[in-house]
Amino acid sequence: MPERAAERRTGRGFGRVLVTVYGILAFAALGRSSYELVVKFGEAPVAYTLSTLAAAVYVVATFALAIGTPAWRVTAWITVGLEAVGVVTVGALSLADAGVFGESTVWSGFGQGYGYVPLVLPFVGLWWLWRTSRSASEERTA
Amino acid sequence: MEAQVTHDPIAAPQVPPGSLRDVILALLLLVVALCVVLAGWAGWFVARNRAVILNQLWGGAVVEFFLLVQGVVAIVQGAGGGGAADPLLFWGYYATTLVILPLAAAWAFAERTKWSSVVLLAASVTVAFLEWRMWQIWMGA
Repeated sequence: MPERAAERRTGRGFGRVLVTVYGILAFAALGRSSYELVVKFGEAPVAYTLSTLAAAVYVVATFALAIGTPAWRVTAWITVGLEAVGVVTVGALSLADAGVFGESTVWSGFGQGYGYVPLVLPFVGLWWLWRTSRSASEERTA
Repeated sequence: MEAQVTHDPIAAPQVPPGSLRDVILALLLLVVALCVVLAGWAGWFVARNRAVILNQLWGGAVVEFFLLVQGVVAIVQGAGGGGAADPLLFWGYYATTLVILPLAAAWAFAERTKWSSVVLLAASVTVAFLEWRMWQIWMGA
């Protein structure tokens, strides 16, 4: 039983790794956007605003997955879902027209600049949230 | 690689302007090598289904020590006017590189399953990658 209980928490088991990769991406996105805001915001305000938004979403998602209490689980669903939508939308738009945001963002080319981690991660995150919530409800009914 | 790199950067009694760069490169290769060893150690633990042990965290501390040495060398080099092409970008990467292992170690150590070893593996590979990026930024690429 203790193993089952541990599995419910989004930050436990495989979730440890998920949160780690999220944390690293949050650092990368945060570093990138702070640099862009300080040094060259005027060059491409849309792209850099988008980068900042992406960074904020990654930071919140990291904390939400790490804490993993029911309230934070809702936050995790929303932020991870936002990332999935964001990377697919921005990726598709940047593919259709490379200059659409003026400059590249974390999500341009489906996260190409980050080894496609931004594309894969939200879907792994959604799978993990689904999986851990399922085992939680299974235990409740059992 | 140019043939001009003939002097020994460590043994040189005085430090001519160019050789500090060799020290930086040597330190970088050392840190990358240590990260690869740490990643291999963690990978071995993943394969053996074992959690991170304290000795591995000491290994991470050794990497951190050489990262700090790198920071000092970078400051000295920067003060001499031969710093990174883009100092803000370089120090941003440096700060990130410095905090990743301690944070990952604390996060990994609280988990007593093989997943903690995967966390250490990911963090080590990331630090090695960031070292390479820092070198690119230092060289103005």
